[in-house]
Amino acid sequence: MKRSRFVLSVLVMAGLVLTVGFPAWAADVIKVGVIGPMHFMQGKGHWDGATLAAEEINAKGGLQVGKKKMKLELVKADSNEFLSITDATSAMERLMTKDKVHFVVGGFRTEAVFAMQDIAMDYKKIFLGCGAAHPELCTRVGKDYERYKYWFRVTPMNSIYLVRVCLVNLATVNGMLKKELGIEKAKVAIVAEKAVWIDPMIKAIEENVPKMGMELVGVWRPSATATDVTAELTAVQRADAQIIFTIFSASVGITFARQAGELEIPAAFTGINVEAQKDGFWAATQGKGDYAVSMSTFVRGVSYNEFTEPFIEKYISRFGELPTYTAVTYDAIKSTLGEAIEETGTLDAEKLIPVIAKAERIGVAAAKSKFDKNHDLVFGPGFATGMTLQWQEGKMRAWWPNGWEGVTYKGMVPYKIPPWMIKKYKK
Amino acid sequence: MGILGFYLRKLYTVFKGEVLVLPSRVIVLLFFLVLIFLPVVTQDPYLLRILILTSIFAILAASWDLLSGFTGQMNFGHALFFGVGAYTAALLNLHAHIPPWGSVPLGGLAAVLAGLIIGIPCLRLKGTYLALTTLAFPIILMGIVFAIPDVTGGELGVSGLARLSGSRLTDYYITVALMLGLSTIMWKITTSHTGIIFHAIREDEVAVRTAGINTTRYKLLAFSLSGFFAGISGGLYAHFMRIAGPANLEVSMSFTVVIWAIFGGVATIYGPIGAVFILFPLLEFLHFWPEYRMLMFALIILLTLLYMPNGLLPWVRNKIEKECPRCKIRNVATRSACRVCTAALD
Repeated sequence: MKRSRFVLSVLVMAGLVLTVGFPAWAADVIKVGVIGPMHFMQGKGHWDGATLAAEEINAKGGLQVGKKKMKLELVKADSNEFLSITDATSAMERLMTKDKVHFVVGGFRTEAVFAMQDIAMDYKKIFLGCGAAHPELCTRVGKDYERYKYWFRVTPMNSIYLVRVCLVNLATVNGMLKKELGIEKAKVAIVAEKAVWIDPMIKAIEENVPKMGMELVGVWRPSATATDVTAELTAVQRADAQIIFTIFSASVGITFARQAGELEIPAAFTGINVEAQKDGFWAATQGKGDYAVSMSTFVRGVSYNEFTEPFIEKYISRFGELPTYTAVTYDAIKSTLGEAIEETGTLDAEKLIPVIAKAERIGVAAAKSKFDKNHDLVFGPGFATGMTLQWQEGKMRAWWPNGWEGVTYKGMVPYKIPPWMIKKYKK
Repeated sequence: MGILGFYLRKLYTVFKGEVLVLPSRVIVLLFFLVLIFLPVVTQDPYLLRILILTSIFAILAASWDLLSGFTGQMNFGHALFFGVGAYTAALLNLHAHIPPWGSVPLGGLAAVLAGLIIGIPCLRLKGTYLALTTLAFPIILMGIVFAIPDVTGGELGVSGLARLSGSRLTDYYITVALMLGLSTIMWKITTSHTGIIFHAIREDEVAVRTAGINTTRYKLLAFSLSGFFAGISGGLYAHFMRIAGPANLEVSMSFTVVIWAIFGGVATIYGPIGAVFILFPLLEFLHFWPEYRMLMFALIILLTLLYMPNGLLPWVRNKIEKECPRCKIRNVATRSACRVCTAALD
């Protein structure tokens, strides 16, 4: 009895010494913190994209860091940032001090990312942003390079470029209406949900529509969760709008597309409709969502390069849905970080930063990606552009950039004007 | 040497007779000591961060109790004071380059002004109507924040503020010292003549007025005092987080304060402070079970309030102490006779 107790004590002590006393065991893994609102689709995208990247890297034995192979270990951190900025900063601090991660990817809500960015910079850890679009996050790098150099925005394009793409899309649709239907000065209606982040976009579009040779007939702001927008659609129809510029991020996007289809509103769509980026959109609109348009990052069957399509297929087979832009944590880990680590043979942030900052990488979310001097994602032909989708005959298709500045991606189709609009305006 | 000895003996006697006789006072003493000496044991930055935020929110919760718990002026928009304090401190720091030791108290004063501004129209309202009206004020301020983004930073808030101090440890001592100091001041206010009038206003305002007391003045005083302490906590939060944003004004912030105060026990000051020190770290601890975090949090609060309707801390206090039916002095629960008047304790 005494002997067995002695043996048990020795085993317990040995266990304690080995687990507590030799943290060097953990030295052979690269810890990457994945931070995001994990109970929301944005955070799920962060985690799923990172999971795929880590699985692929680990399946090859890990990353070559100098002379040894190191596997990747992901640490999930729920930032809860939609509900609490305090939670977001505590989660980031936990990643830094408790989990002792080497790198962090993720973040979504700009206000929270500002606070999280400061914490990552305090600890001099590379933080690859994969969600917040505000330019100021990168402007900080330019203003105080030594402090903020650890920050890079991997996705999405900053909001200035997003507005630019919106306007390019608008001009493209306008050109098409002129060519196909002979509409010389198209009338534009803006229908945008009531949300604060949309206000500056509306301002920019209002300013630019007359300059682009079009006429603005009004701005309608239904609730983000409206279940009936027939009043707005009727008003838009009475205003004789020929282009409807939508900006929706919530469920009103489904209501709008369904009712516009039911009422056969004679107008062409452009803009953003986040719900239309999802596979379930067609079913949600009860088969009435044709011609709805949205900017997006991934569309099934459309490739920026040879890596996009296999990634999309693998993602769908693994997680059962189309990846959204927060899933570009895949690129952040696999190409931005992974390739830089293998090239430098180190995990030292100071040595990695110049390499990440200068390199051009081929990931899955752009033809090529590189960063500008403020560590912001470069937008333009040959680099990140995103794509614009349209639902056509129950299928999600991509129609932009189909020839814009010479850029065309494999699998794109032309934009389609709704037949009831053609019927009304075709001379 | 003889005088020093005399005073030391006197101090010991007072300590023995006033503090050690009641478990609740011993717990408070231990609470002070643990907070003061904790960094001797550990300076883990994550733990210190949690305790700094806990201290800041403890000031906020106690300030709500000062207004709503004591005077019965049900405030469902306490985030207004917090947000005004945070934004004022942030803007003064960023544009006028006033360091935190100046911007935080000025944030508190701005919140006093906010307290007066909302206090005056709210004086005519009571109960549900007052609660709903106060709920609207932070929402109105949020509208203003979004209406003038060039000043307030709009949805991004005001970021890049100066730190409270140069180190996490100093931040800790600043916030803990302020929390202990301000809480003591709030507690002293509630036990003073003014505090008794606050109590009386809650119980029967007409009776207080009949006694010739200007209740309007006292209610405005409660709004202002509560605003000041909440504004201080807002300023501290802004400088610690280095950002003041619309999240500071969200409805959830106002309701969280109410949950803390009710969980801990209203009209006590120590109740809301204790509640924050239990619930805020608990929510962090529950990160280990992220899927069940909010569910477990809600369950704990529901069960506590079901079995302890007056709040956790008054319940604990009543378990470990008894009040003398004759002289109303509190005694340790194990005593059978009052320590002062020797009356039999039930």
